[in-house]
Amino acid sequence: MQSEKEITTKYLTLNMGPQHPATHGVLRLVLDLDGETVVKCTPHIGYLHRGMEKWSESRTYPTAMPLMNRLDYVAAVANEIGYCVAVERLLGVEVPERAKYIRTMTAEMVRICSHIIWLAAHAIDIGAMTVFLYSMRDRETLLDLFEMLCGARLLHIYPRIGGVRCDVSQEFLDGVYKFTDKFPKLIEEYETLIDQNRIWFQRTKGIGVIGAEEAINLGLTGPTLRGSGVAYDIRKVSPYDAYDKVEFDVPVGKNCDVYDRYRCRMDEFRQSNRIIRQCVEKLPDGLVLNPDAPGLDMLPGPIKKAAPVPAPEADAVPVMSPAGPAFTEIYSATEVPKGELGYYIVSDGTGKPYRMRIRTPSFMHISALPRFCEGNLVADVIALIGTIDIVLGECDR
Amino acid sequence: MTLKQFIKRIFLIEIMQGMALTLKMMFTHAVTRQFPEERRDPIPGFRGRHAFVRDSKTGKEKCIMCMKCSTVCPSQCIYISKQKREEDGKFYLAQFDIEALRCIFCGYCVEVCPVCALVLTEEFEYSAYTKEEIYFTREKLLANWDEFAAKQKVETYFNKFWRPEGLDTSKMTKFKREQGPVLLKPGAATPEAAQVPAEKETA
Ligand code: SF4
Ligand code: SF4
Repeated sequence: MQSEKEITTKYLTLNMGPQHPATHGVLRLVLDLDGETVVKCTPHIGYLHRGMEKWSESRTYPTAMPLMNRLDYVAAVANEIGYCVAVERLLGVEVPERAKYIRTMTAEMVRICSHIIWLAAHAIDIGAMTVFLYSMRDRETLLDLFEMLCGARLLHIYPRIGGVRCDVSQEFLDGVYKFTDKFPKLIEEYETLIDQNRIWFQRTKGIGVIGAEEAINLGLTGPTLRGSGVAYDIRKVSPYDAYDKVEFDVPVGKNCDVYDRYRCRMDEFRQSNRIIRQCVEKLPDGLVLNPDAPGLDMLPGPIKKAAPVPAPEADAVPVMSPAGPAFTEIYSATEVPKGELGYYIVSDGTGKPYRMRIRTPSFMHISALPRFCEGNLVADVIALIGTIDIVLGECDR
Repeated sequence: MTLKQFIKRIFLIEIMQGMALTLKMMFTHAVTRQFPEERRDPIPGFRGRHAFVRDSKTGKEKCIMCMKCSTVCPSQCIYISKQKREEDGKFYLAQFDIEALRCIFCGYCVEVCPVCALVLTEEFEYSAYTKEEIYFTREKLLANWDEFAAKQKVETYFNKFWRPEGLDTSKMTKFKREQGPVLLKPGAATPEAAQVPAEKETA
């Protein structure tokens, strides 16, 4: 009889994805398994690469905007707003008050949409089917509202450089207000299903524990970071749009595990709901688009009036170059549902970006995935992919 | 473990609560729409299939060949060609094609057009078996409008992207500022719908 020690074992290499339904897109993970434990996890990305950064260099600022909602397509408006904020800071364009409130409102609506998709996918991955159905029902209300707002349900193309595209109707505001009235009850419904559920506890508590310091070092942002106990939210630390004029809290987790990240996002539902309500209540009158902002027919040649002198509050640094146009660079970050979305734009004073680089939260989160997975069981990999909330369109760009 | 926790554990309280919710839901009305049989009207302003507005006076499109839409189109799927007529030396629109398979339905073309000639109608079911059917030539664009107009129950139509609400109108063209609802059915022309763009006469 062989004793257990004499049996030679070797690692099993398992390919997870790219067509795996629980990888939230075309993500391929190569897992080295020792029994059921993950020894090594190697993410392979790039299946959805569309060359957005390069492509946007050949388009003017306003016409590159429709591409930006293809980053994180479940939260399209948030990405567009991030881009518009970056370009506005670069060109020193003011945004009218009303537009700021509308933008804040739509960004929070889309945050709810995105978190709903996350909750639905996360729950169905772990095995709770009903949450998926209920949350999709409520997302539908928001999509209908978006359709009323700008004529599109998913890829809105709603903000413009210097404001938003069209004003909101009273019907829309009524609809949004009604939604904020009933949404807290709906969150309770989701919570009734999973919040105290023992299966949910076992699948999420104590899994994927990443301490605060390590989370910062890994470059995590958004609810994934806040679940690790770091109260870092761009909406608070460097407010844009109307975030400095509305009240909201930043939910923070304690135990740094999958469950706490889930709690964080559930609380963000309530905070977003609060922000939307305040925006509707405080909505000022006035224009929604700065008349001096570059229009859709902006020319690709040098920008004439008032050259790209950045506004004082923007932290643009002029870079000296020996010859040729004056270069200006800017890094502008906004808080999208998944985390920190940053646009780094180098401008040579023309209507096109000289170079654009997009810092997307999903890319950073996937790079942290090996740290999350290694040492855990295969079944937990699914929960861990869910907890970092990724969209591959954003990761691969 | 306190007694309360123990009771919760034994009697599956939280699971029962969840089950009770799903049971309750069984008796509420269904939210699913049985699509082909049960339809919802698209919300006004939905960005769907393109069309050329048929001018109720001339019976043709209103385009003045300014090329703005093809310049601004993010996916560059509008092809326009204007040519000089031999007899009078005036320009005419020789070709106006929209390759809708590449279009992203952003509505920029509708918004920049100085004479409100283009429109994204609320029509969204137009899938086809061949590429040619979704390659909209000028005639097809006009036909799209007729088809859209025939389906409407109201008399006039105004697209919200022709002159978006809340924008400063002083920089828009005069035509755009004064654009009113257009007539959907040919027939009695209302004053605001019967305007012919002044620029059209320029040689
Ligand atoms: S809707 Fe947008 S993409 Fe489509 S033809 Fe018009 S400008 Fe081009
Ligand atoms: S913008 Fe309007 S008028 Fe100009 S070419 Fe396009 S359709 Fe014709």
